Amino acid sequence: MDKIISLIKTDFNTTYGLSSIAYSFKSKKNRWQIIVFGLAILSLLPTYFMIVKGLGAMYTVYSQIGQKSMFLLSGFLSSQILVFVFGLLYVMSKYYFSNDMGHLVPLPIKPSYIIGSKFVTLMISEYLTSLPIILPFIIIYGLKGGEGLLYWIYSLILIGFLPVIPLVLASILIMIFMKYTNIGGKKDLIRTISAVIFVAAMIYFQLKMQTIAQKSLMEGDNFLINLITDSNLLVKKLGMVFPPSQWATLSLVNSSNFSGLVSLLAFLLVAAISFTIMIILSESLFLDGLIGNIEMSASKGRARRINSRDLSRETRPYLALARKEIIMLVKTPVYLLNAVGGVIMIPIILIMSSVVSEDQSLRTVLEALSPNSGFLILGLAGFIVALGMLNSIGTTTFSREGKSLWIQRSLPIKVSDQIIGRLLSALFIQILGIIALLGSLAFIVRLGLLDLLLIIFLGLLGSIPMTQLGMLIDILRPMLDWDNPQKAMKQNLNVLIGMGLGTLYLGGIGFLTVRAVGKVNFYLIYSLLILVFVLSTIILFNILGKLIKKQFEILE
Amino acid sequence: MLKIKNVSKSYSKGNIRAVDDISLDIRPGEIFGFLGPNGAGKTTTIKMIVGLLKPDDGTIAIDGVNVWEDPLRAKSMISYVPDNPEVYDRLKGIEYLNFIGDMYGIAKEERQRKLDHYLELFNIKDAVGDLIASYSHGMKQKLVLTSALLNNPKLFILDEPMVGLDPKSSFNLKEVMRNMCNEGKTVFFSTHVLEVAEKLCDRIAIINKGKIIAMGTMDELRSHAIDRKSLENIFLELTE
Repeated sequence: MDKIISLIKTDFNTTYGLSSIAYSFKSKKNRWQIIVFGLAILSLLPTYFMIVKGLGAMYTVYSQIGQKSMFLLSGFLSSQILVFVFGLLYVMSKYYFSNDMGHLVPLPIKPSYIIGSKFVTLMISEYLTSLPIILPFIIIYGLKGGEGLLYWIYSLILIGFLPVIPLVLASILIMIFMKYTNIGGKKDLIRTISAVIFVAAMIYFQLKMQTIAQKSLMEGDNFLINLITDSNLLVKKLGMVFPPSQWATLSLVNSSNFSGLVSLLAFLLVAAISFTIMIILSESLFLDGLIGNIEMSASKGRARRINSRDLSRETRPYLALARKEIIMLVKTPVYLLNAVGGVIMIPIILIMSSVVSEDQSLRTVLEALSPNSGFLILGLAGFIVALGMLNSIGTTTFSREGKSLWIQRSLPIKVSDQIIGRLLSALFIQILGIIALLGSLAFIVRLGLLDLLLIIFLGLLGSIPMTQLGMLIDILRPMLDWDNPQKAMKQNLNVLIGMGLGTLYLGGIGFLTVRAVGKVNFYLIYSLLILVFVLSTIILFNILGKLIKKQFEILE
Repeated sequence: MLKIKNVSKSYSKGNIRAVDDISLDIRPGEIFGFLGPNGAGKTTTIKMIVGLLKPDDGTIAIDGVNVWEDPLRAKSMISYVPDNPEVYDRLKGIEYLNFIGDMYGIAKEERQRKLDHYLELFNIKDAVGDLIASYSHGMKQKLVLTSALLNNPKLFILDEPMVGLDPKSSFNLKEVMRNMCNEGKTVFFSTHVLEVAEKLCDRIAIINKGKIIAMGTMDELRSHAIDRKSLENIFLELTE
């Protein structure tokens, strides 16, 4: 028991860097960073409040048809699905790609201890995902329904154990996945491609199942009668997508009577059993998937001979830097999944979800817009610009260097080459995103060549200041002391700050654009946008140049 | 070639003086050994020379170019091999070498000639097609050495270069250093291996608690010491 507590304590400390945070808060120069961070959070708040307000309206709709329990189910379902999806990524990098494994495996501890302790730290990360989603649902339901004390007690217990089942599922799936993909020299590539296909397939089936559930619900002859007699009908039908969220919902809805307690116990029991199963499975699954990662050096010496062309390829510094950045982004699984995968997956998921679920709303909106393609062009270009921040390439560009930053700092590289090279790598990834976006959009709406070119041009041009803004944040507070690339990207506050400032920048431009639409010609709007983007690029380029020079001198 | 003048560096708001008012003047064609116990300030000094740490006071100039006023020009004259070679794990060896070559703007033929020579010399030609992540510590060290020799530096700076190298590579590196000096280049390196310093260096400085406590040729150092047998005795006596 002492071992596992010590493992949890150490892992918790290294993951969240508690010792180093305590250390860094003592210094004065960190104060302004807290202010910037606060501003970034504040800028995200209005959007969050708008969503919460929308949830209030959703509650009213469900309660009008006598199915307000469905409101809670939506909350549990969406938070648990998100925990599961993020869980897949977290588990993969935490169990298999963190450098401490090289130290832990030779120690005399069971694999299940390692997995158990890693699981606990992951739970904490997952609260950051689940709490912002589930809390508004529970609070709105509880306050509007005037629920009693038991409701709130049950809520606390449920919130506490909410991530367990999805995270266990994610852990087991990943452990099986890693065990059976642990083959050959190209295993990183095999794993990444299978992971992308896997997530895409999951989302597809998820959406398909929801549609089927909805259809079967509507088709029953007695649907309306049942709806009136059974106030939990929707929960029982739709909750089948993920039963634990159904039990959680029913335990809260019936908190005042015995069946609520039964549902709560069912939820907890299943959580405990599934956790135990995962721990038992980890004994036989975990090490088999892991060992290959450590014994990478096995291929040493067997590599092909390098031909002389490889020895003497000459490239301009900024292109060489861009190429190095792209190779690192593509070859590091965590970066590939988050930055590259995100840029490609987000548009595909958004559009495919509308195609698969036969939801006509997106198509209708797009068709209504397409005669006047100006809106469409602006909207899509705006989306691409937003991806420019969401890809987190700019906000982590220096953090990703980690302990290798000495190379950049001790080489005679011009600051302008630093900026251009890093920008080019971000734009390259953006182009992949644009291909994914426009490619999947072709299923819904046809766009003219000129429109396409305008979207691409405006989108890419706007991505430049967006990436620069990210780089600006990252050079001011790069996160260099990491042992797992996951930290440079997923646990980097710069990403969040970037999203906040990016929202302000793009939101401001978007607001002005919307006000201008209808009053002036679209081509004038495009021209003004180009002007704004170019000006921002030049201004940010100059600021960045000075900052990089200064920071490269004083970073330690 | 390398002029360090009254350079100081403190950590923790001036509470710890890592380097305390040191001055060095290293001439072209010289191999200079920088000795001292752990935590004496060797790495801090080296990091200040190569532009990784800013001194609190004093100036550092390479061939007359102030490192902190014209860093690009200064950096293009030097090459640096750190004590712990943290390099891009996800690149192949050859990709890393080409990256460094591009940053120094080294021409095609020159690059090919240098790579052919040093990859053979350090016996890593077969490994440069592999990911750096698969390298041992020593191989990473050899890769960084090769990359540092690509640009034919006027000043070659190495932090504990012999650590992790096999005897043959260590011997070859010493040869490389000697040859560079014969061509009029300068080598500045820190080491714990007193034997290496004794045999290889034209001059030696010993640093302790941030201060230079002795400097000169082996003979000069001997003349100051009571027990004059070996550098080890002198070192132990001075750093007590």
